[in-house]
Amino acid sequence: MISSLVTLAGRTPAVRLKLLMLTAVAVLAGCSANPIYTTTGVVLSNYSEGEATPYVMQMSDPEMACSLGEGIDPLLYSFSRVTDAPDSTGSLLMLLAGNCMEYRAWEAELAYLRADFEGNVPAAKDAREEAKRLNAKTAERRLRAFNRAMAAYEFDPAAEPLECPFLFTEQDELTFLLGLLTGMQAIVNDANSGAMAGIPRNIAPQAERAATCLDNEKWGGLPNSIRALVWLLLPDTRPALSPDPWRVLDNSSELGVKVGMRASMALEAVAAETFGRPDVLADTIAEFVDAEERIDVWEDYRLVDHVAAGVIRFSSDKHWTANYGYRTPQSFFGKMSPERNTENVETMSLDDLL
Amino acid sequence: MIRKSLTALTLAAVAPLASAQTVSMCVFDVIGANGDLYNMVKDYALEMKAHGVDFNLKPYTDEGVAVGDFNAGQCDAVAATDLRTRPFNRFTGSISAVGALPTYDDLKTLLATLAQPKAAPLMKENGYEVLGIVPAGAGYLFVNDRSIDTAGELAGKRMATLDYQKDAIHMVNFVKATVVPSDITNFAGKFNNGSVDTAYAPAFAYEALELYKGIGENGGIVDYPLAQLTIQLIAKDDVLDDETAQKAREVAWGMFPQAMDLISRQEAAIPDEKWVRIPEKDIQGYQEMFRQNRLEMRDGKNGAPDVYHPKMLGLLSKIRCASNPSASECTAANRE
Repeated sequence: MISSLVTLAGRTPAVRLKLLMLTAVAVLAGCSANPIYTTTGVVLSNYSEGEATPYVMQMSDPEMACSLGEGIDPLLYSFSRVTDAPDSTGSLLMLLAGNCMEYRAWEAELAYLRADFEGNVPAAKDAREEAKRLNAKTAERRLRAFNRAMAAYEFDPAAEPLECPFLFTEQDELTFLLGLLTGMQAIVNDANSGAMAGIPRNIAPQAERAATCLDNEKWGGLPNSIRALVWLLLPDTRPALSPDPWRVLDNSSELGVKVGMRASMALEAVAAETFGRPDVLADTIAEFVDAEERIDVWEDYRLVDHVAAGVIRFSSDKHWTANYGYRTPQSFFGKMSPERNTENVETMSLDDLL
Repeated sequence: MIRKSLTALTLAAVAPLASAQTVSMCVFDVIGANGDLYNMVKDYALEMKAHGVDFNLKPYTDEGVAVGDFNAGQCDAVAATDLRTRPFNRFTGSISAVGALPTYDDLKTLLATLAQPKAAPLMKENGYEVLGIVPAGAGYLFVNDRSIDTAGELAGKRMATLDYQKDAIHMVNFVKATVVPSDITNFAGKFNNGSVDTAYAPAFAYEALELYKGIGENGGIVDYPLAQLTIQLIAKDDVLDDETAQKAREVAWGMFPQAMDLISRQEAAIPDEKWVRIPEKDIQGYQEMFRQNRLEMRDGKNGAPDVYHPKMLGLLSKIRCASNPSASECTAANRE
């Protein structure tokens, strides 16, 4: 069948010419990079950046988006062997792949908390070990995403004085911003892995400085949230006249609701857990649920809001699992305990009926 | 019948929880619940669950506040560095005596020794009990000029010193350096912006607090442990019975490899050329200087605060002389 096709193709002059050209190209390319690969790489990179990324950013299914990251990244980034590394798209893909690994780590973490609640120590240990390994893998992916984001904009996070990168489009700004956030997350994952991944901890102060390169209001308070989180981690980095970091986090969360992207809220929840502020955590989760009614999600970046929602839900699930042994029941999302508000409800007299 | 079985069911559900004793613990970690240390304490807590104790952990990023809350009865136990837990047990609080444990091998011998049931009486003092000791890494001297590699060179240099660490203040004064009172949150900034010439910290700070900035082109980290920092878990004496308390110390000792793994990773993150190696003959001089200081701080002589426990200094000396029998201190008349 195939041979007959070839014979058929060979008969048409135009096709014959093409075949000849292909052979010539293949011979000329020899052992070096195949020019078709190079062209394909450039086309794919441009397509990813111009079409695929905006499409993915509008998705409302973080799990599917993360699978895309895991599946496509090795293919797309392999073109870095034949052409310039597609760093900006590569950073987003690796970020998504990192999320996938983190979702697995979350499940292991919940399994650990559940077993711990039940007093089943071997099961708890097993799940905790699993969570550590998955956190280490997440941290590694996230470090790669951070490095690619920095490389994409030729930004040296260690340079002093700070030289902000040129960010031409809105997508560039967001990619860079998410890169910084991902770097911070890598540190958290590494710590939760028992420092298995060896992530450089100076990413935190570097991200703090780089976050000043972005418009805080435009990005829903996310740049300032990153800074406030670092101020809490490393009080030394806090500028003299800066407001209280907790106030900044709270304010950023509100800004996030205004622009329709609640990533700042996720950061506030992480800060509350990290620094042992159950009051702030309860407020943040409640505010998140409350915002559902009034938020107009930023359509172009819907995915960011959905990923943030996942983080908040996991915070809530951790609290519920540690305290009650199961994840947050749907109707209790926004609450921190299974107490129902059913005591002071007015009731009718049944005397007439009895 | 139904009520009975319901009660039985409820009891069955509650039973595994009721059998565990709940102990609240304030845990210090500079980066809170997502820190390396906090995570290690989580492992400890999980191990202890198998021994019937359910630790309820609460993160603190300020060590002073963690110990303060413990004092105020907000938690039954506390995990913090020995610099802060020294008042609860002067014996174990003297592990970080200046220059007393020059190698991690010596530290290992010490912690193994202290985890033995025989050491239990030493773990109790003034109504408090030590429930475990875990290494946090040696403290090193960070300098902005590599030529500051002998005690003599320190004279006149400004040194960031924790204001509550009496032994360090005495040492700094002894080498005729200038004490610049600092705390954990601001010493790195002072070193990095050049308002002090030297600071001491575990290797962890090199990357996390960007101490490489303060080191710059000309500085380095003196490759000699000034002191062995440890994290100590302290509880009020009546919180755990003796047998469980001993188990708790053994569990903490079992975490030694995990802690050392973390520490060696942090030390390995420092580039080789940043370490300032000091010659063997200088080391001997250092050791003798530290020893004289320890003696002063044991006896409260020459204006020194009496902060070190004689028994701990004796034990540390025994360990040093076992690993290095030819050291001159081992035959000195005023052996610790």
